[in-house]
Amino acid sequence: MTALRLGFVIVVAAVLAALPLFGSDVIIQFGINALLLAVLAQSWNIIGGYTGYASFGNSVFYGLGSYGVAIAMVQWNLPFAVGMIFGVALAVVFAFLLGVPVLRLKGHYFAIATLGLAQVMSAIVSNVSVAGQNIGLVLPPLNNDRLFYELSLVLLIVATLTVFWLTRSRFGFGLIAIRENEEGAAVMGVNTTLYKVLAFALSGAITALAGGIHAYWITFLDPDSAFDISLNVKMIIMAVFGGPGTVFGPVLGAFVLSAISEILSSKVTNVAGLFFGVVVVAAVVLMPRGVADVVRQFRKSGWRYFAENLKAHRI
Amino acid sequence: MDLLAQVLINGVLLGGLYAVMALGLALVWGVLNIVNLAHGAFIMLGAYLAWHLYTYLGIDPFLGLPLTAIVMFCVGYMLQRGLLNLVVRAPMFNTLLITFGLEVVLTYLAQLAFSADFRTINPPYAGNSIALGPLVVPLARLMAFGVAVVLTVGVWLFLLHTKLGRAIRATAQNLVAARLYGVEPRHLYAVTFGIGIGLAGAAGCLYGTVSQINPYIGATLTAKCFAISIIGGLDNPLGVLVGGLVLGVIESLTVLYIGATFGDVASFGVLVLVLIVRPSGLLGKTA
Repeated sequence: MTALRLGFVIVVAAVLAALPLFGSDVIIQFGINALLLAVLAQSWNIIGGYTGYASFGNSVFYGLGSYGVAIAMVQWNLPFAVGMIFGVALAVVFAFLLGVPVLRLKGHYFAIATLGLAQVMSAIVSNVSVAGQNIGLVLPPLNNDRLFYELSLVLLIVATLTVFWLTRSRFGFGLIAIRENEEGAAVMGVNTTLYKVLAFALSGAITALAGGIHAYWITFLDPDSAFDISLNVKMIIMAVFGGPGTVFGPVLGAFVLSAISEILSSKVTNVAGLFFGVVVVAAVVLMPRGVADVVRQFRKSGWRYFAENLKAHRI
Repeated sequence: MDLLAQVLINGVLLGGLYAVMALGLALVWGVLNIVNLAHGAFIMLGAYLAWHLYTYLGIDPFLGLPLTAIVMFCVGYMLQRGLLNLVVRAPMFNTLLITFGLEVVLTYLAQLAFSADFRTINPPYAGNSIALGPLVVPLARLMAFGVAVVLTVGVWLFLLHTKLGRAIRATAQNLVAARLYGVEPRHLYAVTFGIGIGLAGAAGCLYGTVSQINPYIGATLTAKCFAISIIGGLDNPLGVLVGGLVLGVIESLTVLYIGATFGDVASFGVLVLVLIVRPSGLLGKTA
């Protein structure tokens, strides 16, 4: 079973890697977006799915990664790779500085504190002169969508391997223990503060890499687009739709929802956002543990699965 | 000195409005244990409702306020009865997510229905103001402040002295015991959520008279309401009033001394600071 699954994953990855060879430009561009969103959902999975801290502010890391690349390349004339490292460094420093106080908060408080952070970042960055203030920065163009596609795919594979590693490492078990019962985890000898901050930083570092790739691909960024709060909406919905706390759920969710929203927005503009909202409402009511759980349970209980979810938490 | 006094006046007037915005959020949070992330979007809907009443029917926003509140109460009641009661006992994350989804839906529906243009409700007295020596008190803001204070105190008295208010407080304290005394939780939850949304609608009317509205104001307003509830605690509407005033004054002072773009930064900075220092609220015993 595991060998079969491994083979399947390798085949899917190989097909995705070969896609630029036969896909059109439109497909490749859609692919870059979908892959980067999958990376975001997967990195959110580390802090939200495995650690149980629903961050509504991961877009901050995305923006920091974007600005890391942009500042390094435009203001300091450094190569792209150095910019990526700079972006990750910014994200990790941010995660440690703010993670220590913010991760002491639980539940609603953590969610809203991170949402607050996401909302102030664009206002702060628009006053920083090295970041181009309100006007933003224009990066040197590199018209090579295939390269960006493969970079995004590599990043998604790295992110997924990271999550896979969580499922069978001491660190990952520590995070799951924190999610299930934080006091219990502390009693069992998990250094909860360190683990949570490390998970936050890991999630942030991967998100920042995605932001860096996106910035170089789009070649322009300003505070509002870099720290776009609706990115939080997308990454959380994709992770939750696919199945938070599973290895492939968030990737699946990102691919499925990206495809549907792309088809919808080609028919009717602006309806994609509405679609995401409806999906999240329906998903919370009907399948709160995501598609991954539906696939597992559906064989056993059939359509009753949805009815049981409906009844589970009602008053 | 006059400038400082003027800014303080503006801050206090703004703070009263903030208080009535946050009141519904705090009530729903305290009783249902749902942090309604769509609260700001309901304020936005209330503002649009008042705008339409004024623009097409000529109803003054202050007179249209009760009507808006009643309509929004019905919306809230049905939403809780039909949808949110399904998840009210689910883990916190699920209720956060579903209201988050509602926020997205409402924002996009508003964008489709009302377009993304900025709107303002401009009654003929909008530009009028009362002069107090060198200081100026804008009339519309003063009226909004007055209504806000009346509403806040009204909710406080309602919770303390009416049968329904007692039932709501009892449910907040202990659902099982409240049930034993004959409280029907499905109905009571829906009524409470309806009151919360009705207050959001009322706040929207007031907001529309003093500020610009567009479909995207919801998320920022929700975060501000949350900040106010955190500062004031969930126990008591009067705490929310204090929280609103504190936030209004802080924002006005920040805009004066640091810069206009930092107004929101200040309020979220206060939010994060308060959360870190005192997660149960500056005034609240529990949250």
